[in-house]
Amino acid sequence: MAKMTIGLSSGSIDKLTGAGVMMVGAAADDYEIEVYVLLTAARAFVKGNEGLTDSFVEYPEQKEEMLSKLKELNTPSWLEFFEQAKEFTDVKFYICSLAGKLWGGEKMEDFIDIVDGICGIGQYLDAAKEADIHISI
Amino acid sequence: METEELKTLSVNKSVDARGTACPGPLLEAKKAIGGLGSGETMEVLSADEGTRVDIPKWCKKQGHEYLGTLEENGYFRIFLKKV
Repeated sequence: MAKMTIGLSSGSIDKLTGAGVMMVGAAADDYEIEVYVLLTAARAFVKGNEGLTDSFVEYPEQKEEMLSKLKELNTPSWLEFFEQAKEFTDVKFYICSLAGKLWGGEKMEDFIDIVDGICGIGQYLDAAKEADIHISI
Repeated sequence: METEELKTLSVNKSVDARGTACPGPLLEAKKAIGGLGSGETMEVLSADEGTRVDIPKWCKKQGHEYLGTLEENGYFRIFLKKV
């Protein structure tokens, strides 16, 4: 089984949605996926934050237009994309321990259910080295 | 398959994914093909131009046989056979 590793550094809705689209595409192709949640991205994975839409880093002036269009196109939320991918292939989400602490998450119970573990940066680098596809978002 | 053959093909399953954008139809195809037996056929209905390109490529990667696409009024009928 081919392997895809994603370094997810942005918690911006547009970036999370883009990552979700890629994950679902890779799931359809039976890729094994590992997602390393770094820096600002970890904020979205802290329990209670998954519905936030305040982070829209790239082109913030287009936030309302994009959110409206995504709804009109019946596009799943970023979390729904992540869950769909997990339903169809082996997807693991690891929270960088530093990133978790930045947003008040230190233990597994602090994060949403799709999270599989807390990691150090060495694990991410090893996964990136071994992957057939490595994407940094 | 030729267009006329596709028009008269009786498929074992039809998946209507016209309500979703990419990658929704691909995922619908992935879900549905698990319920087919080897040699059975399926059509995916999609209004998404990207899906028209993706599903033939997906078939090739997954080892299924892409049979062809019919363009209807505002959507595509993409035919494949599970190998």
